Amino acid sequence: MSLLELNGLTKRYGGILAVDQVTMSVEQGEVRAVIGPNGAGKTSLFHLITGVVKATEGTVMFDGQNITGVAAFGRCQMGLSRTFQLTSLFPEMSARDNTKLAAQARDKQRWRPFGGGAVFAEAARRGDAALERLGLTHVAERPAGLLSHGDQRLLEVAMALAQQPRVLLMDEPTQGLSVEETAQAVDVLAGLFGDGSLTVLLVEHDMEVVFRLARKITVLHRGAVIADGDPETVKADPAVQSAYLGGYA
Amino acid sequence: MRMMLAVAALLALMPLGLPPYAMTLLTEALIMGLFAMSLDLMVGYARLISFGHAAAYGLGAYTCGNILLHTDIPLPFAVLLSGLFSGVIAIGVAWVCTLATGVSFSMLTLAFGQLLYAVAFKWTSVTGASDGLAGIPRRPGPFGTTVFDTKNGFYYLTMACLFGGFLFARGLVRSPFGAVLRGIRENEAKTLSLGYNTRFYKIAVVAISYMFGGLAGALYAAFAGFANTELLFWLLSGQALIMVIVGGTGTLVGPILGAAFFLLVQQQLSSYTDSWALFFGVIFILFVLFAPEGILGLATRRRASVGTH
Repeated sequence: MSLLELNGLTKRYGGILAVDQVTMSVEQGEVRAVIGPNGAGKTSLFHLITGVVKATEGTVMFDGQNITGVAAFGRCQMGLSRTFQLTSLFPEMSARDNTKLAAQARDKQRWRPFGGGAVFAEAARRGDAALERLGLTHVAERPAGLLSHGDQRLLEVAMALAQQPRVLLMDEPTQGLSVEETAQAVDVLAGLFGDGSLTVLLVEHDMEVVFRLARKITVLHRGAVIADGDPETVKADPAVQSAYLGGYA
Repeated sequence: MRMMLAVAALLALMPLGLPPYAMTLLTEALIMGLFAMSLDLMVGYARLISFGHAAAYGLGAYTCGNILLHTDIPLPFAVLLSGLFSGVIAIGVAWVCTLATGVSFSMLTLAFGQLLYAVAFKWTSVTGASDGLAGIPRRPGPFGTTVFDTKNGFYYLTMACLFGGFLFARGLVRSPFGAVLRGIRENEAKTLSLGYNTRFYKIAVVAISYMFGGLAGALYAAFAGFANTELLFWLLSGQALIMVIVGGTGTLVGPILGAAFFLLVQQQLSSYTDSWALFFGVIFILFVLFAPEGILGLATRRRASVGTH
């Protein structure tokens, strides 16, 4: 059984078919990328998985449970943590407090209205560990809004990791980064994904990034899956060639 | 903490030195301070701007008035019950208002306040319509004590409510719950995506805010001996927002100082001119332009700069 399974997932906006009968799965420990040209439905698909928008048809299964009707914050509570396409942080809080608040979300006593020293201590422990994994310990006390763009992107990943997610969902992790920043970020992420302890689904249009990070690729075109497999197979697929890569490989 | 004990001791000694009319003003300032502080929980910590906080005040005042007029419940219990009642009503109000965000949220709070105002004019048997409720007594007890009936006794009751409310609110904003509120203030979408049901937190903080706002209104009804529709009018909601901003948002202490400052200026200016509000408007604008962090911010900034030289 796959950890995350999409069955015939469809999203229609009026007459426009944004996501068309997508069936795919993510195995435990897999790093999978969803790619496709602009307007292929990547972001719509991402929204369906995170629960930000409701599916017109089809189901999302997580660990054998049907979560199609579960709200976004509920899915996060179950272990689906996400990062945004446009960096989304708490700009006036320190990087450390950002990861603390992220970790606190997984505590049963997260809403405790008094005291809470133990809750904060545990959140700080998890948050600091996540900062260290992303190499951000040296900027931990700085307000998140003042970090470099690259560090802000990594901080968002640290926040997701602080939640100890069962699946990490990333929406274009290198969006808006310069060439050097992208290279650095990809190095850090490649190191992070290397040991197979994380299950990752990322949506990305930068081919270099995808081929370095992902071990499985799903190709979307006009909302539908046109190819699925390891990077070599996908690269060689003629349908993918004509739809997207345009002779890249 | 030491600072707070010192302030408490100072306030507790006030009846020994101040003349009765000053004690009246000080009691009113503490009541208004509690009211402004309750609004700060929403405005300063969750960026939920309410234009209708008078609803909490009026609800508490009318509830307390009715309890004291029609039952034998002792004054302190009547006041606490009224605060709780406002808080419970606020859960329904907040459930509706949090369907919207930003300016729309503010407009809904205003609409609810004005709705109560209109109802108070029509529901004569409960509110006395435009005459209001007059002759609200301060019922004795518990245990037959009449101490809260005296001017100074009532002052101490008000002080206890203010400090109790402050300690509760401070504990709240420093708790895990408070950390989530700050998340909502800075980036609600992100807070939601981290797995927090942000609407639950917003409804809860509005209810707590109304509870203390209602407590303040209840104290006022017993303090003044009457309750009328002015306590539900939007003007009071606006004044409370001004007290919060002038005092310093997101500080709890600031709005209490802001309320005292507002009443003092009002009292001084109104003996010279009827258009005192015009002058206070100028003061408000100066604060917004040159000291957006409010009175408390000014005080701590001064202290910080003294400390470094």
